Amino acid sequence: MSSPDPSTPEVREPLPASGPEETGSTPQSARSFLARIVPLVPALIPLGIMVAIVIALVAETGFTNFGIEFFSLHWDPVNNQWGIGVFLLGSLITAVPALIFSMLIGLGIAIASTTYLPRFLSQWLDPFVDLLAGIPSVVYGIWAFIIVAPYFGSQLEPWMVMNLHFIPGFGGPINTSGLGILISVFILTLMALPITTLLIRDALRSVPRDLWESGLALGATRWEVVRRVAIPHGRRGIFSAAFLGFGRAFGETVAVAMIIGTATVLPKNVYDIGNTMAAQMFELLDSAIGGTGSPQFLAAIAEMALVLLGISLIVNILGRRLISSLYTQQIQGL
Amino acid sequence: MATPTVSKSILDSDNIRYDASARTRWRLGFDRVIGWLLPLLFVVAIAPILSLVYYISARAIPSLSWQVITSTSPYQTDAMGVPIIGTFELMLLATSIAVLLGLFGGIATAEFLSERTAGWVRMSANLLVGTPSVIVGYFGYFTFVIFFGWSLSLLAGTITLAFFMTPYVFRTADLAFTSVPSHIREAALGSGARPYQYILRVGTPIAFPQILTGIFLAMAIGVGETAPIVLTTAGGKIPPQTLFSPVSWMSSLIWQNFAQAPSTGLPTIAFQAAFLLLVVVVSLNVVVRIISSRYRRRLEGLYA
Repeated sequence: MSSPDPSTPEVREPLPASGPEETGSTPQSARSFLARIVPLVPALIPLGIMVAIVIALVAETGFTNFGIEFFSLHWDPVNNQWGIGVFLLGSLITAVPALIFSMLIGLGIAIASTTYLPRFLSQWLDPFVDLLAGIPSVVYGIWAFIIVAPYFGSQLEPWMVMNLHFIPGFGGPINTSGLGILISVFILTLMALPITTLLIRDALRSVPRDLWESGLALGATRWEVVRRVAIPHGRRGIFSAAFLGFGRAFGETVAVAMIIGTATVLPKNVYDIGNTMAAQMFELLDSAIGGTGSPQFLAAIAEMALVLLGISLIVNILGRRLISSLYTQQIQGL
Repeated sequence: MATPTVSKSILDSDNIRYDASARTRWRLGFDRVIGWLLPLLFVVAIAPILSLVYYISARAIPSLSWQVITSTSPYQTDAMGVPIIGTFELMLLATSIAVLLGLFGGIATAEFLSERTAGWVRMSANLLVGTPSVIVGYFGYFTFVIFFGWSLSLLAGTITLAFFMTPYVFRTADLAFTSVPSHIREAALGSGARPYQYILRVGTPIAFPQILTGIFLAMAIGVGETAPIVLTTAGGKIPPQTLFSPVSWMSSLIWQNFAQAPSTGLPTIAFQAAFLLLVVVVSLNVVVRIISSRYRRRLEGLYA
């Protein structure tokens, strides 16, 4: 028997759920139907949890219709204004730059680890990047809040104002606490980095050795093989890294809630405080626990949750569909 | 005698340089420079980890002692016992439920479903993993705390966290059973094993190490989660007595205390909790790595 070849997926017949038919005992139809159905029930667990979450969220909205106003920039519970536009935009302006940075750095690290570094070095360095995914977000949060933010506020941001003020949005004023959009982008970059790096690394590793070596044999340098052969060949994996990395940055809750500053208006520049949907939801729920809000307040939170969940699901479906294998990766947090 | 000299002159770098056009030299040089620059990007990933580990240890270790960790007086700045017990109990319950659900679900998906149906189930597990934690917490709050009326309690937190951890266990169990080599599977079935005999006596021993990594991974992720627990439990001053008692949880401790004034001593509690969490999470990750490297070696032996 030859060892299974990973490139040609084998056909796996499902087991007969009722086992081999027993001859002799006659009234079998009911029993064998049950025996066929029962083993299938546990398989519905993940689907069931997902459906339960969606149903609970939809039920909680009470089908309140906020109309187009729901996406406006006015969030003012006292005056009955429920626009989540500020938070939606806030999620985008933190997650998109974080994604771009983590894709660029991740691409660089993945190329270095697959192409340039000797095996023993990358074997030692790669686990560190994977460890970034294992660190709890609340630990990132406290580190960023107490250690990194003062540095941002007193050193980095004044320097950026001095040297980058010609770029719109980088001109200041800064707040000296260092909390806000910039540090959130920094932390989200770190949190998305292990996902993007790992998926890009897998994509580059899955390029057949033949292609790699034919390129080198034709006289291309390693960089040219990476750029002209490996990256085009692994582009599905690289796109999926972008989608899943975005999903991670977009949905991150606690770390962002600790450092972004929970504003209810749009930030004026990159140093200003802001807010994201996940962070705002968490703050609202955390302070509403125990008391009861108005029905509209609860409906607004539920619909914000639905928007957040919807975007996360779309991004994740797109990202997962691009990965062909069963579960390409088994890393923490992915 | 002359032969070595000739071959040496062919390999001589002078000859190659004679051949190389300016463009080739540029290409080779670019490749070399990139080869030095790209590995430097590892610094971007590794420096923050070192900084994080260093500063959190530096803030936590001076005030941390065995007495602080074990003291169960209603928690003040000098007693971590209650949150540690709460975390331990909650993790134990949630992990048991998640393992139960995930294991059965994964095995059923890998062994009994057709490829098509299994694809849907796998996708939903992947989507659960990608669901923001605040959504899971919100779901737990309105379903268990409000709708079922369990109040902010150990039970509500347990079930919510178990739902959060289940897809991780599920995915590894599914993957572990799907990657049992098909010649072994067919040999077992061909010699007349019933499905449950195959699963218990053939599949489980082969899949076990990988399932174990899945469980540890789920624990590493679960123990650090904050949003689902903050929204479904209330911090108790004593270890939980019943399933409906409030329970305190390490990462909620960080969330509640990180922004307090330093004079209260509360940020120190947050740092102590963060340090302990970091120790637990990193050791779980190391265990996962050790098991999976052993497992890979074992699997290769199996394929041969």
